[in-house]
Amino acid sequence: MTDLTDPEGSQPSFAHPTEEAFARILDYYGIEWEYEPRTFVLERDDNGNIAAGFSPDFYLPMQDLYVELTTRRPNLVTSKNRKVRRLQELYPDVNIKLFKRRDIRDLMIKYGLDQHAEPILGTEAQEEP
Amino acid sequence: MSYRPPAAYGALMADVSQILITAEDIEQRVDEIAERVSADYADRNPILIGVLKGVVPFMADLLRMITIPVEVDFMAVSSYSPEARDQGVVRLVKDLEMPITGRHVLFVEDVIDTGLTLSYVLRTLRAREPATLEVCVLFNKPKRRLIDVPLKYKGFDLPDKLVVGWGLDYRERYRNLPLVGLLKPGVFQNDVEA
Repeated sequence: MTDLTDPEGSQPSFAHPTEEAFARILDYYGIEWEYEPRTFVLERDDNGNIAAGFSPDFYLPMQDLYVELTTRRPNLVTSKNRKVRRLQELYPDVNIKLFKRRDIRDLMIKYGLDQHAEPILGTEAQEEP
Repeated sequence: MSYRPPAAYGALMADVSQILITAEDIEQRVDEIAERVSADYADRNPILIGVLKGVVPFMADLLRMITIPVEVDFMAVSSYSPEARDQGVVRLVKDLEMPITGRHVLFVEDVIDTGLTLSYVLRTLRAREPATLEVCVLFNKPKRRLIDVPLKYKGFDLPDKLVVGWGLDYRERYRNLPLVGLLKPGVFQNDVEA
């Protein structure tokens, strides 16, 4: 977890603003987190080199849970789904949760983070269950 | 209890695309939960604790339907927002008025989504060493759960959509709807884009 008294320079270098917003929410509620702490090998080539890997965005140690965030549009999220599925096949003891575009949008709306919600509006908005 | 028909809530219902759970369904389910609580906590004089404000309708219904002696208390917790974030971390903005050490506590919640708020509240309550601490939730949204919490009593699973009514709000509105409905996407899109 990030120490809120630390200077901002101690924050990890987040790949996406949504990840930083997510980290701040976790900090607010006192939930310990690590950013991309582990790369899971998903595929090796014939020489044993890593051909495909996957580094989930967050790990929550107290919950033993990895969290991956993706703001990709639903039609572009297939590769991410495939990676998560492959990880679950190869590492069945690893718990991972994929937060998709709408999940993140709803989270941002819930917490009044309109500037993060606005860029990811308008997809699969509220189709009826 | 009789409720006004959904059509009577014209301005609010105009923002609802679909009714997911009716007042009758909720009443029946709350009655079932109350019956179980009354049996499980007989002779234990439990304290029901809720976090304001969303829990108010559920707590009121549950209290009326429980048939054993119970006490009730409320707390309020700061919600995350850009402004609250600048003030530090989550905190109690209203504490309990009753001590709970050694008491049987049933924590009553309207909805559990990520579990972040609940996790904080349960940590706070556990630190006061109640004899037992269980969770009773009316609406459960399990898909986005980050903090897993055992739920002793559960009303309904909800889809991972923005829903309103029966205490559930969107920007403080719709809590008074006597149903749970799906919020039209145009409502929050307009707000966010404004």
